[in-house]
Amino acid sequence: MATLVPPPTTPPPAPAAEAVKPEKVDYMDLPCPIPYEEIHREAMMSLKPDHFEGMRVDFTKGLNQKFSLSHSIVMGPMEVPSQSAETIKIPTANYEFGANFIDPKLMLFGRVYTDGRLSARVKCDLSENLIMKANAQLTNEPHMSHGMFNFDYKGTDYRTQFQLGNGNLLGASYIQSVTPHLSLGGEVFWTGQHRKSGIGYAARYNTDKMVASGQIANTGMVALSYVQKVSEKVSLASDLMYNYMSRDVTASFGYDYILRQCRLRGKIDSNGCTSAFLEERLNMGLNFLLSAEIDHKKKDYKFGFGLTVGE
Amino acid sequence: MSSKVVLKGKGKSTKGSKPSVDNSTSKLFKEWSTWTIKKAKVITHYGFIPLIIVIGMNSDPKPSISQLLSPV
Repeated sequence: MATLVPPPTTPPPAPAAEAVKPEKVDYMDLPCPIPYEEIHREAMMSLKPDHFEGMRVDFTKGLNQKFSLSHSIVMGPMEVPSQSAETIKIPTANYEFGANFIDPKLMLFGRVYTDGRLSARVKCDLSENLIMKANAQLTNEPHMSHGMFNFDYKGTDYRTQFQLGNGNLLGASYIQSVTPHLSLGGEVFWTGQHRKSGIGYAARYNTDKMVASGQIANTGMVALSYVQKVSEKVSLASDLMYNYMSRDVTASFGYDYILRQCRLRGKIDSNGCTSAFLEERLNMGLNFLLSAEIDHKKKDYKFGFGLTVGE
Repeated sequence: MSSKVVLKGKGKSTKGSKPSVDNSTSKLFKEWSTWTIKKAKVITHYGFIPLIIVIGMNSDPKPSISQLLSPV
């Protein structure tokens, strides 16, 4: 029944709504989907920039195209977890030294803090489609260190991932492109230490102008997000997190302006929290950061400023 | 009553009336793997950043030691 231009490959069964568009969908040639853990990527990037409190200076020195060292100073109040409803903050100052090595096949990323903590990330391309990633936070305190290994396999229109972590954590996830715009996936995980297992499903629909994604897990978490690209420079994002076990719901709504010299992100939350984050490029290699987070319910006001020097 | 408790404790670790040889092999394996992981953690903790620096200093084009140590 091809009244249109006959496609060069074997014609797949066309969906009913396609009488409007003259393109035929080739189901054998779908694009590779986004990795499962990045399914809410656009919403995370727009709604959750890394807010901080106090002063922050990051200096990155590149020795080479691939190798760079970084020095970072953070001074400000740190929150200490407390039993009472008030937040307790203790002023701390930290220096952090880091080294990065970035190669097309191997990426090494290490950061060490003044209190002896090490945060390490390794990403290695074992072959064209198989990627190994490892992530570790090591401390001097016993039983407070975490490590995780991930093995990712990328197929033509699917991705699978296998995770292995300390505390006997095992996880696996799979995501498949179903149409050029829709991808569906699922994950299972098992923790040995807490004897818990879980299963979750996710779906993501994206076009050039919008991305909608949803995720549900049997731990009770439901997360939905929607990002609309209003113009080249402006996107609006909204996010809903609902836990049906503990009946806890949070909705947030935000904007993201990506302009030539700066990037401004702001959001407002249903918990009475509004926040904004500005990154302004003062000069080549010099960025100025301003972060503000105002929580009206808990009466917690956090303001921070910082400077990033280097690429 | 106390002897019953002791038996129960032993039963838990050996899953019934298995011979004690298996018990000590699996125990040995567990102890050995714990020792390996502990040593690996210490080695990673102290050696990861020097490893990155060594790999970086040997990549092309080779940077010099003065570039590594100077603050500019």
